[in-house]
Amino acid sequence: MVKFLAQRVILSLFVVLAVTLIVAFAIRLTGDPALMLTQGAGSITEADLARIRAALGLNQPFFVQYANFLKGFITLDLGKSFLGGTPVATLVGKALPATLLLALSSLALSIILSIPLGIAAAVKKGKWADQAIRVLSLLGLSFPNFWLAMMMVLLFSITLRWLPPSGMEGILSFIMPTLTMGIILTATNVRLVRTTMLETLQSQFVMVARAKGLSERVVLYKHALRNGAIPLITYFGLQFGGLLGGIVVVERVFNWPGMGTLAFDAVAARDYPVLQSVICILSLLIVGVNLLVDIAYGIVDPRIRRD
Amino acid sequence: MLALKKPLVPIMALALLGIFAAGPAAAQGTLVVSSPQDPGSWDPIDTFLVNWASVATNIYDGLTYRGPDGKLGPGLATKWDVLDNGTRVRFYLRKGVVFQDGEPFNAAAVKFTFDRLLGPEGAKGPQFSNYNAIESVKVIDDFTVDFKLKKPDPVLLVKLGGYGAMIVPPRYIQEKGEDWFNTHPVGTGPFKFVSYEPKIGIKLEAFDKFWGGRPKLDKLEYRFITEPATAVAELQAGRVDLVIPPTIPIGMISTINSSPNLKVVSVPGLTVLALRFNTAHGITQDLRVRKAIIMAVDRDAIIKTILGGQAIPIASFQGPLSFGFDPSMKPVPYDPKQAKALLAEAGVKPGAQIQIDIRNNDETFLEVNQAIASYLKQVGINATIKPYETNYMLNDIIPNGKTGEMFQQAWGGWTLDFDNTAYLMYHSGEKWNPYEKDPKLDALLESQRSITDVAKREQILQEIARYSADHAYEMLLYNLNSIYAINTRVKNFVAPPDSRLRLTDVSVE
Repeated sequence: MVKFLAQRVILSLFVVLAVTLIVAFAIRLTGDPALMLTQGAGSITEADLARIRAALGLNQPFFVQYANFLKGFITLDLGKSFLGGTPVATLVGKALPATLLLALSSLALSIILSIPLGIAAAVKKGKWADQAIRVLSLLGLSFPNFWLAMMMVLLFSITLRWLPPSGMEGILSFIMPTLTMGIILTATNVRLVRTTMLETLQSQFVMVARAKGLSERVVLYKHALRNGAIPLITYFGLQFGGLLGGIVVVERVFNWPGMGTLAFDAVAARDYPVLQSVICILSLLIVGVNLLVDIAYGIVDPRIRRD
Repeated sequence: MLALKKPLVPIMALALLGIFAAGPAAAQGTLVVSSPQDPGSWDPIDTFLVNWASVATNIYDGLTYRGPDGKLGPGLATKWDVLDNGTRVRFYLRKGVVFQDGEPFNAAAVKFTFDRLLGPEGAKGPQFSNYNAIESVKVIDDFTVDFKLKKPDPVLLVKLGGYGAMIVPPRYIQEKGEDWFNTHPVGTGPFKFVSYEPKIGIKLEAFDKFWGGRPKLDKLEYRFITEPATAVAELQAGRVDLVIPPTIPIGMISTINSSPNLKVVSVPGLTVLALRFNTAHGITQDLRVRKAIIMAVDRDAIIKTILGGQAIPIASFQGPLSFGFDPSMKPVPYDPKQAKALLAEAGVKPGAQIQIDIRNNDETFLEVNQAIASYLKQVGINATIKPYETNYMLNDIIPNGKTGEMFQQAWGGWTLDFDNTAYLMYHSGEKWNPYEKDPKLDALLESQRSITDVAKREQILQEIARYSADHAYEMLLYNLNSIYAINTRVKNFVAPPDSRLRLTDVSVE
């Protein structure tokens, strides 16, 4: 297990390194930050642009710039934004909690909804409850999340004026972004829980548990769900990674001050230091979660631990 | 624990929310503005972003002032004399002005501002070159300063009214440092800084000791909202009072106008658009072909239908607010018959191919080009539209002369002086002029740069405009409007063409 984990950690770090290298290289192909800083000017000479580039450190060779970024990142000095010189650490320090809160609340919502619904669908297989849950899940899957977000804004913010249409201010502002992401996640997860439970419920140990006269609740939640949980944990873990990627759209629609918004603005302004740090942190998070999933596997299923 | 009861909890929670209704933030005396970008720093010398100016014009003053009407007038200088053939300007400063931190405004502050702008601190930023005609600033007495210029700069007085030339407080910056000043701005303007949260917003309040009299609003808040649909939703929900450009897409105007308490206010803005010609390669080398292509397209119809009337036709590469604009010039009329005749005369066979290069980030402009292509089809020219990533197009395709027969050029400088456009578009060797070399035009462009006689300079700029129209360097399309969306509770709002909001006289009900 230790050897396996060590291998995984090294591999993960390599992935993060590769991702940041690609991003740092790709963004430099797409344009000049000096030009973006001077959009109001109209007239600007090559000499001005060269001077601004030098001030931003862009006159150095690519690998020197990249090495400086890595060195800074490891020593926790993320540099300054090209836009106005705000320290990147300040920006990330505000954006990361915002994104994590949103991602976790959405995932939590989806788990809370999908486990009971999925189990219900499995238990009542073929009955109306199962059909209804499956139709709802199909509906949920068919909504593009930005559309769902806009419809909610239209109803709850503009017509009813219950919820703020955007921003992160107080508990009310969490509801629509969380629902938007949570509903779509739930739609997928319900199907997964249902399939997993169907398989598990046909296992012999479930029959044994029932034969022992255990209550249905104990059979479902203690025996079936715990065994069915292994693929679910992997999936929820992976989903968390996907969630961080997919959060950009939702953050933008709700003007959520998170990592997605930060990354989006950084791409638009060619703000290299911000973009590189955001991508580096997000990829660290994603591979970190995957590692945790591997560890969790071992805890849930002793057979894996022993290998 | 019953499996099916759980989903009811969030639904009930949602229903309960009706009790805690998220009421609109529109408080008495507070105006909330949605702005699409956070410039990251409020220091005048750090950025050249339009949305910096939408906020900072309320915090700072320049020596001169240009309001929404485009007319230049006194700011912190009450009058000025242009001396020594335009190489020296003497400014007489306004008395009794204080900065928002209590520091007095005087000649030393002016000198400090320009020494800083033109020194090492300013050289790191984008503002420096705009003002490098200034050699030095000399304090004559407490309220008189002399600007000594390396060469006459006919646009200098306008440039002193905005962006990098905003007067900053010397003592405050020296005590608190540059980094602090970036995020805690102090000026002499009508609104005083309260707080700033990066990427979220900035809050200002009325400055009681403002030299022009206390503004009518008590508080002024800006929220940074990039997504147009989100900004409009905030406006509809009553939590934002004003959405500033460049946010509102033309397609949303009818939605806004259909709300009883909202309206759209638009004025001709700074941006002019054209499809410029490749005069070095392909059929567009021929002047007759270029003229034919222009005549073949009904630009008025495009403005009316695709742009919903939110633009005005242009006859030279500038809008009516620009210095050098000649109202007697009229756009080339739509005349497909004449276009066909010219094409035949030039020996262009029906079915000739051309390529139009555009930026890929503007849906409306794509539609405009699809319309242009179908007009061209009617005179026998097959146009293909090629979208490029904006930066790639601006940094490689155009400067290196790799365009198709026609290519998009959007332009607009805040100084509203045709020199700013014409020199860069038409002078040999300039980045935006990869194809033309015309000594006569070069001479005209150079001559107006050292003239301080305003009327004579205007004449030369108008001549340049006519010359370029005669040579059909571009198919001039239109001057786009600056579109603001506003809640009707906002009173006395005058829309500025350049997004430089100064909200001194604005009030809310």
